[in-house]
Amino acid sequence: MKPALAVFALAAVAQWLLPLAGVWQHERVIARGTAVRIRCVAPDPYDPLRGRFLAVRPEENQVPKPAGMPERGDVPVWATLEAGDDGLSRIKSLSLEPVSGPTVIRLMARWQRWDQESKTVFVAWPFDRFYLNERLAPDADKLVAERFREGRARPVAEIRLLDGRAVLTDVLVDGTSIRDVVKQQAN
Amino acid sequence: MSLLHHRWLAEQIPAWEQEGIVTADGARRLRERYVVEPQGGLAQMVVGAVGALLIGTGLIAVLAYNWDDFPRWVRMALALGPLAASQAVSWWVLGKDEAAKPWQREAAALVQTLAAGAAMALVSQIYNLPGKWTDLVFWWCVVSVPLAWVLRSQAVAIAYLIGIAVWAVAQVTGRGFGFSGEGADVRLWYPLLLAGILPLWPGPELRERPASGSRLVLAATALLGLFAVATFAADRPAFWLTMLSAAAVLLFPLDRHGIAEPLARKPQVLLGGLALVAMALVATYEDPARHLVKSVGFALPLGWCWLLLAVVGGFALVAFRQGRFAVLAVAGLAVVPLLAAPLSGKDTSGWPVAIIYSFVLLATASALIAIEFLGRQGAARIGAALITLLVILRMADADVSLLVKGLAFIVIGVGFLGFNIFISRRRAALPGGPSA
Repeated sequence: MKPALAVFALAAVAQWLLPLAGVWQHERVIARGTAVRIRCVAPDPYDPLRGRFLAVRPEENQVPKPAGMPERGDVPVWATLEAGDDGLSRIKSLSLEPVSGPTVIRLMARWQRWDQESKTVFVAWPFDRFYLNERLAPDADKLVAERFREGRARPVAEIRLLDGRAVLTDVLVDGTSIRDVVKQQAN
Repeated sequence: MSLLHHRWLAEQIPAWEQEGIVTADGARRLRERYVVEPQGGLAQMVVGAVGALLIGTGLIAVLAYNWDDFPRWVRMALALGPLAASQAVSWWVLGKDEAAKPWQREAAALVQTLAAGAAMALVSQIYNLPGKWTDLVFWWCVVSVPLAWVLRSQAVAIAYLIGIAVWAVAQVTGRGFGFSGEGADVRLWYPLLLAGILPLWPGPELRERPASGSRLVLAATALLGLFAVATFAADRPAFWLTMLSAAAVLLFPLDRHGIAEPLARKPQVLLGGLALVAMALVATYEDPARHLVKSVGFALPLGWCWLLLAVVGGFALVAFRQGRFAVLAVAGLAVVPLLAAPLSGKDTSGWPVAIIYSFVLLATASALIAIEFLGRQGAARIGAALITLLVILRMADADVSLLVKGLAFIVIGVGFLGFNIFISRRRAALPGGPSA
């Protein structure tokens, strides 16, 4: 085989591997993972390559600091979630060491440098967006904003968890997918 | 001699050789001296690239429109199907080897690049994957650059260079906001990514050179990327490191043919020089001059600074041996802060350095003019323009009446135009004289 063909074959394989690795990893979580619901806020920004999405930010972003938390930088932590009476999950505990369980999720945590007395850390969740068709996204944003103004229940992020990994599968409004709600409103 | 003259000469040589006007050896030496870059069907390549761009972006838009109506497996097939098809076409074009037309190589490479990007973006969209769009650009660049090598695609190379520069800038601008996660170190990654273009230019036989437009993109993106790395390395706006980066781009070594080319075909000299002169002009003011000298203090402990200094020093040595004194004179502007730093105290005013910069700029401009009059490759017009600009800046600052300023500007303008006419006549009088 000529060198050019070999280089081309390698590039072609890499072009398949990257998306397929993502597909395999996330399909596995969706198929075998535990479903969890978390309350969140969801405004509507834009990604130049991937289009419109709802920026999904779980409300719970500050939790008690685990013992031995480093002072600087972003640190991976393992959070165990627990469902409340309302069916929504919240962080029960945070560990600097990997822990296992069906509702464990790997997060990034930061202890703010300017607030060394603080007993809490900020956490970043491993999902931050829910892509929507460009026809639906503005209406979905409007719907979320209206509910916020009226003081009604915030949207809920439905995620699947497996081995600490999370895949955001839907954003729900009153238990129904925001996609379906917006489509129904449009009809 | 312009490239048009080179091309005309190349067309005449076979007839002259046949008629015995030049010997075979003479013809060979003329061809070596007045090189003609292969055009490779430029119009065909542009048409191929534009066609591929339209097909690729159209495909992405059509697929994206129907998203919500398809189940996940259909969306997956739609995301990966075009990639498979474009890879098959590229394989076929590659198999044709030298028989493949430039537009075919260009179109196949660009469509496949777009299909690979679309597949990654759509999979990311299907699974609501987090992360900045520039992270996707990074991986897109990594898996696409081999297509520029094997299909010799200028369009993919240009897209790659723009992509890695955008990624490098994003690493700096996104820093400090929110969670950095496991971010990349652009000091390591940007030079590695930039080196990714080497298998295409100069290629394994060190003979391939980018076309004119590609050179401009290469120079501009390298400058932008290195500025981003300088800012990243210092973790703040790094005035002096930026100057050193511009000096490295300006001094980039050239072969004999490259040196002989006009300035318009050396965008790295033009852009690197312009960036350096612009920063030096800014440093003729007190506040920027003070910050510039301060930036030397926090740059010197950085490894990136010493690497840049070594590169600039090495390039300067090569330039000196090649007699490129005009570029050396301009590159010297980056050394001033280093020399001025030990003389400046912690809370010293920036005026001494600002005044030194005014004089160094004047000396640089005079050197650009003098080098040309000494029969070397100089840049007399640029030197004159620099002196004019300096005088205008100082006059604008001066506490004199508007009438005096107006008269001074008229005198400067007349002097500048007169000098240009003089240089034009002088060059016309010199057969094959040096270019500016």
